Amino acid sequence: MLNRRLIRNFDFYLLLIVIVLCAVGTFTLYSATRNMEGLPDPLYFVKRQLLFMGVGAAIMLLVCFIDYVNFKNWTGYLYGANLVLLGLVLVIGEVEKGAMRRIPIGFFDLQPSEIAKVIIIITLARLLAEKEGQFPYFRDLFPSLAATALPMALIFLQPDLGTSLVFLAILLGMLYVAGAQGRHLGLLIGSGVAVSPIFWFYLLEEYQKNRLIAFINPELDPTDKGWQLLQSIIGIGSGGLLGKGPFNSTQVRLGFLPDHYTDMIFAVFGEEMGYVGAVSLLLLYTLLIYRIFWISTQAKDQFGALLCCGVAVMFFFQVMVNIGMTISLMPVTGIPLPFMSYGNNALLVNLTSIGLVLNVAMRRHKIQF
Amino acid sequence: MSKLMIRRIRVIVVIVIACFIVFAARLAYLQVLKHDYYWDRAEKNRYTKITLPATRGKIFDSQGRLLATNRPGYVVSLMDRGEGYDPETIDYLSEILQIDREEIEKAIEGRLYMRYLPLLLKSDLTPEAIARISEYRWKLKGVNIEIRPIREYREGSTAAHIIGFLGEGPVDEETRKLWAEAGYQYKEGDLVGQSGVERTWEPYLRGIDGEQLIETNNMGQPINYLERKEPIPGNDLYLTIDLDLQKAVEEALARRVEHLVKKEGNKHAGRASAVILDPNSGAILALANYPSYDLNTVHKNYADLSQDPRRPLMNSAIQAGYPIGSTFKMVTATAALEKGVMSERDIIRCGGVVSLYGDTKTCYRSTAHGAVNFYRALAVSCNIYFYHAGLRAGIDAVAHYAREYGFGSPTGLADLPGEAPGVVASREYKAAVTGGEPWYPAETMSAAIGQSYNSITPLQMANYVAMIANGGTHYRPYLVQKAVDSKGQVVYEAEPEPLRQAQISSRTLKILREGMRAVTLPRGTAYAYFSRLPVTAAGKTGSAEVSRNTPAHSLFVGYAPYENPQIAIAVIIEHGGIGATGAVPVAAEILEYYFTGQIKGVTDN
Repeated sequence: MLNRRLIRNFDFYLLLIVIVLCAVGTFTLYSATRNMEGLPDPLYFVKRQLLFMGVGAAIMLLVCFIDYVNFKNWTGYLYGANLVLLGLVLVIGEVEKGAMRRIPIGFFDLQPSEIAKVIIIITLARLLAEKEGQFPYFRDLFPSLAATALPMALIFLQPDLGTSLVFLAILLGMLYVAGAQGRHLGLLIGSGVAVSPIFWFYLLEEYQKNRLIAFINPELDPTDKGWQLLQSIIGIGSGGLLGKGPFNSTQVRLGFLPDHYTDMIFAVFGEEMGYVGAVSLLLLYTLLIYRIFWISTQAKDQFGALLCCGVAVMFFFQVMVNIGMTISLMPVTGIPLPFMSYGNNALLVNLTSIGLVLNVAMRRHKIQF
Repeated sequence: MSKLMIRRIRVIVVIVIACFIVFAARLAYLQVLKHDYYWDRAEKNRYTKITLPATRGKIFDSQGRLLATNRPGYVVSLMDRGEGYDPETIDYLSEILQIDREEIEKAIEGRLYMRYLPLLLKSDLTPEAIARISEYRWKLKGVNIEIRPIREYREGSTAAHIIGFLGEGPVDEETRKLWAEAGYQYKEGDLVGQSGVERTWEPYLRGIDGEQLIETNNMGQPINYLERKEPIPGNDLYLTIDLDLQKAVEEALARRVEHLVKKEGNKHAGRASAVILDPNSGAILALANYPSYDLNTVHKNYADLSQDPRRPLMNSAIQAGYPIGSTFKMVTATAALEKGVMSERDIIRCGGVVSLYGDTKTCYRSTAHGAVNFYRALAVSCNIYFYHAGLRAGIDAVAHYAREYGFGSPTGLADLPGEAPGVVASREYKAAVTGGEPWYPAETMSAAIGQSYNSITPLQMANYVAMIANGGTHYRPYLVQKAVDSKGQVVYEAEPEPLRQAQISSRTLKILREGMRAVTLPRGTAYAYFSRLPVTAAGKTGSAEVSRNTPAHSLFVGYAPYENPQIAIAVIIEHGGIGATGAVPVAAEILEYYFTGQIKGVTDN
């Protein structure tokens, strides 16, 4: 199964970026959680993150062994199974922060909405690859729209606005790359904007509206969401050029920064590592995304290229929204930062998607003699 | 791969790079450009400054006896420990402390942004309240009991008008400036002296508050104790007053007023003041007003005290101006003698009644004193003599010498707030208050015996008699002998401060003293009480008419010993009747106490 050519085409460059991100993430997580009260062990979160990193790495490598072309055939099963899980979570899910997102299985809570991200990428890649770049009519977009809308609606019902938005980003990004017509995409975005007041008045929960208000004016509500934003900016700003040094975030130590080891971990990194560290991390993410796009251009087929693009768009959107939130360029949406934020499901899914990209890279159509 | 796809991927990559640039720029703005601002904000998050209140200085009398000190008092405060305020706790507290629920809730609302700092509910709890709170401790959430110093006045009402009390009352701009110069920046809500030396010596007494820097978490709970600046305790004050003498004076005033009311049926007697000065330095040895008030309960009783018609809160000894009647006669004599219009040997015939300038005036109860010279006239307080003396000298000379004795302007006491200047009856004053009316000679006659517009404070009276006794020197009266810091170093020591030397010949002053001596000798108006004194004294009685329907104010000024004056004294009993029945026995008792240490029987109550 693994011949020499496959190993030669293995993209160590991408793997290296991911390893560095994982290392930085683990270290920052350690800094953010080592003094947390009520932990059975100061390394509790670090150990769990490392465990899932190991499992994720295993899945990533395992994915590499199977030619990605096979996934095309399994799309139906994967998609169906995921819908069942998303439905199940609404029935038996554990309530967390006012939303049902998790299904507890043993020592680990399954979060079908995370898994759904990678499955929708595979599904869309297959649907769009079949069109081979030809989308003469608007109705040609319908299968993709329908395929995305179904899981997205189930996730929105949890309710989890952030993850639903990731789906929207993946959909638009993949449609665009696949060759959908500009005017069709414009129509899609335009109608989305047109119906958004319905969301505001009927579908958004009060806390979600508050987050948007807090984003527009964080000082307005310095006790809740706006306060969190403010504390994040204070942390990052106080870090300065070179930062306060590892383990020296006062915002974290004194408990001023809520969600400091999950959604707000970039603020901890920015405070401790300063401008130099923060921009280096941004650069690392940019390289990651760039590399994945580069791999997509090398793919041997439409399906592989679209897989990579979907993964790249997913990372891009999550990084942009998460970091943008901590520096007050984006509203608070509760999207984790890939490889940095603590989160078992996200880590597994992120590593699996990297596995898909590596897989595409290994089987790229490049003859070198 | 199609060209379109590659182009579109490029577009996305360009967007990614653009995002990177925007984010890097935003980070540069936050972390480089605005770093100082956010660093500050983060530090402010971390640190809380707690004021460590300085211990207020104590106040002692001249013998080192404690007058004002601090005792530990219990203070109860309520704190939100991050779960909000517990309504049940508020219910209990409102019941135990007898504060309205709404009041507590209002205080809580007012502090929304400092919700994790304790909210002071009540200070100086009673032992019962502490016991009840301890009893319910397991039910009360976020309730703290702390110990804080509470000012305690050891002698209650004794010397209340001298010591003063603390409060959070307003402080005018001028006082703030004065305090700032002495190193104390007043802040709204500071507990400061409201009267007495507690007010005038505020910057000395209060010390300098310390500070404790604390690193706190987001709940405001202390995590680390950092720098600490120890408070510097305030300075202790040693007053010039003698506690025993002060008490003796207050008791003598109280006893006499009660005697007048009960035994003599005088419904109008009720207020009295006395000032005792050292004529050789200006030191105030005692200063008392009747009625007084208890400094420890003044806040609780403030409403009643401020509405009491006897005005116990007022420091009349320095704030109330009186017509001083015959005690003014030494001024008139000074004017006549200094101008040379009359000699001490000149005889005036007193028929008990005199009609001059269209006005008929009488001596007291129309007594005819016969032929009197100055000495006799002063001893028996003959009005007719002093009408003539005043008329011969003229109102301008009388007013001039009244001012020479310090009347008409504050004596210069800086240790108590609000000394009144008083008024000297004069042509100019009348013109000013009546809109230019001329002065009539008949008014000169009134002014010559201390009536008319004359308005003089008991302190001015004491200073006046001290000047006669010491040869004409006006010393600045003072109450604070020294200030001692917490290490025992004397940081202030009062020196007698001669403000002015009256332009009065020593011959005239000597004649006055001899005349005042005669007052206490046989056939003098004060002889009845002074005959039994173990010390020689000189003085002058007075009764000042205020209205037809009430008894006159009863006054006495004097000093002792006659040969070598040690104390000067002024006593007034409002509506106490003639001098001999009101102020004289008080003065006699004070002198007896001062020179013998006890009051045995110069008076027969």
